[in-house]
Amino acid sequence: MKFNGYERSDGSAGVRNILLVMAVADCSEPVARMIADGVDGAVAVTQHHGCICGEMVANALIGVGENPNVAGVLLVDMGCEGMPARSLGQMIRRTKKPVEWISIQGLGGTNKTVATGKEILERFSQQVMTAKRTEIDVSRLVVGVKCGGSDTTSGLAGNPAVGAFTDMLIDAGGSVIMSEPIEAVGAEEPLAERAINEDVRKEIYRMIGNEEKRWSVPGAQLEFMCKGNIDGGLTTIEEKSMGAIHKSGSRPIMGVLRNDDRKLEKVPKSGGFYLLDDTHLEMMSFSSMAAAGAQIVIFVSGCGATIGHAVLPMIKVTGNPETYRRMSEDMDINAGTIITGEESIDSVGKRILDEVIQVASGKVTAGETFGYSSFSVYRKDPRLEALLNLSQKLP
Amino acid sequence: MKRAIMMNSEDNVATALEKLDEGSLIRVDSSSQENVKDVTAKQAISFGHKIAVIAIMKGDNVVKYGAVIGSASHNIEPGDYVHVHNVISNRMQMPEIWYR
Repeated sequence: MKFNGYERSDGSAGVRNILLVMAVADCSEPVARMIADGVDGAVAVTQHHGCICGEMVANALIGVGENPNVAGVLLVDMGCEGMPARSLGQMIRRTKKPVEWISIQGLGGTNKTVATGKEILERFSQQVMTAKRTEIDVSRLVVGVKCGGSDTTSGLAGNPAVGAFTDMLIDAGGSVIMSEPIEAVGAEEPLAERAINEDVRKEIYRMIGNEEKRWSVPGAQLEFMCKGNIDGGLTTIEEKSMGAIHKSGSRPIMGVLRNDDRKLEKVPKSGGFYLLDDTHLEMMSFSSMAAAGAQIVIFVSGCGATIGHAVLPMIKVTGNPETYRRMSEDMDINAGTIITGEESIDSVGKRILDEVIQVASGKVTAGETFGYSSFSVYRKDPRLEALLNLSQKLP
Repeated sequence: MKRAIMMNSEDNVATALEKLDEGSLIRVDSSSQENVKDVTAKQAISFGHKIAVIAIMKGDNVVKYGAVIGSASHNIEPGDYVHVHNVISNRMQMPEIWYR
């Protein structure tokens, strides 16, 4: 099986040709937006953890810059950050894609920076926007799977259909990653049974156990399920987890990729299913999956959703036939046909695979038609990690 | 007859595939669409919400997908609506503000 994508100079394969204008911190975001505004293929992103925010945020920004969907990167900083654009840009340049950086204070304010930024984007456009799609094997696809706004149809239809797709892509040599450790609490055993070896089995228990500690701090009122979950019929985190892990299919779990204060591991090129030790919080987990090398994400929502990510085209699936009826303009795949008995899980899985190949080849997703391009970055709070003894930096 | 689905033969709850009316007889199917039993709904139950297929005593495990999804906080009769009012997680409790 093949798709039509972009061959990148570092050997990766992109499914979009994005010019990324990255504000290193949110103070430069308005200028980054003005630079990207009106430029074909350009999108502005930033993060909201401040500008001296540690390795996790830097690794996420570098990883997103390295993502194969990104054709060129313009970094924008104020000039006084603890994490300057230059240091991130030098790392992203290892991919050999066009990367430049500018400082607002150095250039003398908004107008001069916007003008300089637009000149750079114009140059980037001439370099990269003429790239042509070529035939690429699906074994080079990395797809992230995620669910949110889950109701019980997610566990009965949406997630099992994505699980069927997951097995099909892996059997074709591709890779799938999933990143929502809180939604594995209560589902440790069925995941651990699939670990490729004893080390991976232990890593699965470690990842889930650590996340349970982060979300069950005595005295803190923590929302790890939303009101929509409960209105939709999900009673406990265990029930939600048992439904959520259906997305992971049934093939062996090859590893747990780390994202902590030491490193953000990328999906190996060898294919298979991987867990990412990250978060269930949607937009943040998409950015982490982008940094780990995903080119596409699939999002299952029983309640319905209107989200989209800045660098990853998102295929939205609902297992709820009523949600699809009310929000068909926002949902790409109706898996509610499983609930109504019109279609089998495997049949919907095959439709999802076909959709992934088409979207990888340039088909516009529902979210892309509306121009959805949200972005945020996950950080494990170093104070909580230290207090819970989870920091990888501690002896 | 309105239907509910029981994902695993070890389950003690089934999920409503349509809105179930109080007092109506419900056909409970396995995940392969075979009719495994019938049960009378003791309360109205919304689409996607759960109905007990056998009695579950207070403190006993609630089982769905063949896995433990929590334990009964009250005695549950066959046909009862099963949700946050009579089941608690064995792992992590949600702040009550979300469902009270």
